[in-house]
Amino acid sequence: MLKYNFRYEFKLLIRSRWLQVLSLVLFVLVGFSVLNGKDKIEKRERIIADAELEVEKSDAMMLKLIDSVTRGLSVSAPSWTIPTNPMVVGNYHPRIASMKPISLSFIATGQSDLFTSYIKPTVSGDDFALNFSEMSSPIQLLFGSFDLAFVIVFLLPLLIIAFSYDVFSLEKERGSLRLLAAQPIAIHSWLLQKLSLRFFWLSILLLFTMTFIVFLSGVDVIDEPLSYLSLLLLALVYMLFWFVMVFLINLWIGNSSKNAVALIGLWVIFVLLIPSVINQMGSTFYPMPSRTLLINEMRVKKIEVSKKQDEILDNFLRDHPEYALNDSSQSRGFYHRYMASQELVKEELSPIVNRFEEQLRKQQILVDRLKWISPALIIQESLNKLAGNSSSDYESFRFQAIAFAETWREHLMPFLYNNRDFTSEDYMNLPKFEMKRIKNKPSTAILPLLTISLFLLGIGFFLSKTGYKRFNIINE
Amino acid sequence: MIRKTFSKEIKELMRDGRARLSILIVLSLLGAAIWVTTTHYQNVNQEYANAITSERKVWDNQGEKNPHSAAHFGTYAFKPKYPLSLIDKGVDKYVGSSIFLEAHKRNEAQFSAAADQTGLARFGDLTPDFVLLFIIPLLIILLGYNSFTKERETGTLTLVKSQGVSIWKWMIGKWLALFSPILLITSVLFILTGIILSNLNDFGVFNWDSLLWLSLIYISYYIIFTNLVLLISAITTKSGISLVLSLSIWILACLIAPKAASNVVESEYPYPTRQEFEAMVLKDKKNGLDGHNPWSKEAKLLEQKVLREYNVDSLHKLPFNFAAYRTQKGEEYEAEVYFKHYKYLKKQYSEQTNVYRNLAVISPYLPTRFLSMAISNTDYATHWDFSDAAEKYRVATQKFLNDNTAQNTVYGQRGYTADPDFWKELPEFEYDPPKIETTIRQNKSNLYILGIWLIGSFSLFLIKTLKI
Repeated sequence: MLKYNFRYEFKLLIRSRWLQVLSLVLFVLVGFSVLNGKDKIEKRERIIADAELEVEKSDAMMLKLIDSVTRGLSVSAPSWTIPTNPMVVGNYHPRIASMKPISLSFIATGQSDLFTSYIKPTVSGDDFALNFSEMSSPIQLLFGSFDLAFVIVFLLPLLIIAFSYDVFSLEKERGSLRLLAAQPIAIHSWLLQKLSLRFFWLSILLLFTMTFIVFLSGVDVIDEPLSYLSLLLLALVYMLFWFVMVFLINLWIGNSSKNAVALIGLWVIFVLLIPSVINQMGSTFYPMPSRTLLINEMRVKKIEVSKKQDEILDNFLRDHPEYALNDSSQSRGFYHRYMASQELVKEELSPIVNRFEEQLRKQQILVDRLKWISPALIIQESLNKLAGNSSSDYESFRFQAIAFAETWREHLMPFLYNNRDFTSEDYMNLPKFEMKRIKNKPSTAILPLLTISLFLLGIGFFLSKTGYKRFNIINE
Repeated sequence: MIRKTFSKEIKELMRDGRARLSILIVLSLLGAAIWVTTTHYQNVNQEYANAITSERKVWDNQGEKNPHSAAHFGTYAFKPKYPLSLIDKGVDKYVGSSIFLEAHKRNEAQFSAAADQTGLARFGDLTPDFVLLFIIPLLIILLGYNSFTKERETGTLTLVKSQGVSIWKWMIGKWLALFSPILLITSVLFILTGIILSNLNDFGVFNWDSLLWLSLIYISYYIIFTNLVLLISAITTKSGISLVLSLSIWILACLIAPKAASNVVESEYPYPTRQEFEAMVLKDKKNGLDGHNPWSKEAKLLEQKVLREYNVDSLHKLPFNFAAYRTQKGEEYEAEVYFKHYKYLKKQYSEQTNVYRNLAVISPYLPTRFLSMAISNTDYATHWDFSDAAEKYRVATQKFLNDNTAQNTVYGQRGYTADPDFWKELPEFEYDPPKIETTIRQNKSNLYILGIWLIGSFSLFLIKTLKI
């Protein structure tokens, strides 16, 4: 029977031009999204490369200046930009802390349009005020971007729904169901076979289209075959979930347009409503403290410390004897006082700044718990992680960049407090930023989602087997 | 006939469990959304008021200080929330709400709410605009997709026709039956919002005109969807197909078009990255007058010019402190540099706006979205307006401070501090958002596009259904 069913289904799909239309639609959607994604990573790579080049150039200038100054030549640069002063190096010649895209970054924009992919922390800046947000039009952020993740999470279920919402009810409405019922096959098995075949064809189409386009566009995924495999599996599991929904709805409800309404309802709930409700819950239960209050607090602190800078400096040096080990001159200038005050402001503000991180962490925990209500959420998050553009990736970048800002400062502080000039030998020892990617395991979502789908399928199958009448399959 | 059709259709809708359920869901979503946004805004506005007084106190109590140190210490401009952001939050979440105003530098608004949320925030919020823009059109589709197809499917179409009924009265009856529940929901929502808003004291200046405009925009948006849904229902033969088609239009207009537009915009008229932008500004700054650097070529030129102007041979003989004058001139030059680069951003932004406008041909969602944000003062243009006003204030503040030094010191004098009471003389930063008339004028083209959609879809509906 499976063989007949297979052949019949295939002919039906070809003759009704469903397969052709679907291939075309998939090709256009996947093609457009992959190209967009590719554009984005290329831009990001170029920008980081440009910035690195810029730093190289400015370093060369800096070394030349240092050289001239140490040889006692007169230079045309103003005194506060001469890099023998360690604070000049720290402020005007910062290093780049960047997060480069990975090979699968093209599949999901994630947070990459909201956050910048590199920053240059300076010694005298406020770490908590480091601006990690990217300069992008808020309209673009609002609308979001047409990436592969959008095609998979939002559009693919709709294609599945349009493709098979009436797979069973149509037979009923046409009257061919009575003929089928006369065949030696249980209706639910028949329906399952029919849907499995559609699932099979759509999977083939999607896998083929995606792989074809990815290779055509020249994105490099061969380096990470496992990640690419996870992408395909995630897409398949998500499709499976929606086919199970179609199966259940087809069993439960008997009429084509009612099926469609119910399925669209499920789509709206899973894809639109649950995410926004969970997001709302996150910010209602764990509201972020006010950034404006943080600013006020910081300003008050800064005024306070500016009034007793000498005292602060003395205390600071007492607490940090390591900074001024070899200083015999004991000369103290603006930066000595300023950096000590900065340190104090930072320490005093850290409880408030930590509260932001704490609340964000709590929100994230809530989201992680509740995300299992909606497969759309799970898949979106997994794809973001595969792309290396998820919130946790950017959070990790933020932490590492802030830690680097600290390293940068600590490296130059002994120069300042020892009143030691910065020399070309010291240039070699300047710290460099190395981003360590967190180990995301996006593939962990595959198994649970598969289990959920199969479980739901099992329930539907079992119920339909035990109670034909309840599901009203034949008698309408 | 119109009345009879109307009451029959309404009765049918009310008997349909699905219709009742979906209307109920929409109403409860709206209720929840309004409740959430109202509490949120009350908090935000409280914070805003506190922030302003606290910041001013900090500024006023700086004590004895050199005016230029005060300029570096800077001050903040905070962006207020406007009454109608209760309905449409627009891009508020994606733009910062405070701008640091300091010497030599124009800063962007900092700390956007989206950056302080989990990645989930990108799915959207449960806000009234989400329900108004996405869910209610969906409701229209669910209520109306089978309006005509059911007559075909049950065979009543032939009956109706054989009665000698005037087709257009029948059509109008159906149209009204679909539209009036939507109109009712929308009106209740807007009246409720109006009442809530006029009862909140600290909610800025609320005006009913804007609310009226906003409600008209949404009503037009729903009329367009009503037309489209009924048109599709009239030309298709099966309810299922009608539903799938209407939904495709919804997906295309509300989901695909905006996202695709944003990608087109990104590749055609991109913004520089923050770092690129800063590098460009820095480069231009280096090529001009630096107020802190008396030895640069530009500084020498300025010196000569001023000496000529006042007909003296030494900077000491000038009636003001030349160092402060130079700082001010440097400030003015830097302001020009920023003006130039921000002008480029604005150019890109206006090109981007054109792309969105062109794509409105396939999506009534786009003009509605833009109009709604504009009227609610939560659009990008209002943010620009605010940021420009803050910049103007920053430049004026610098002049105020530099002039004080220039008047009260002589060239070469060091260690000047201004009187502790001097800071209080700085005028406060005040910002009024664009008036509704201005907003409407600026968004005329969006209004026209919406109007074309409105008339076009209705005529199409009339022409097609008359042929039934």
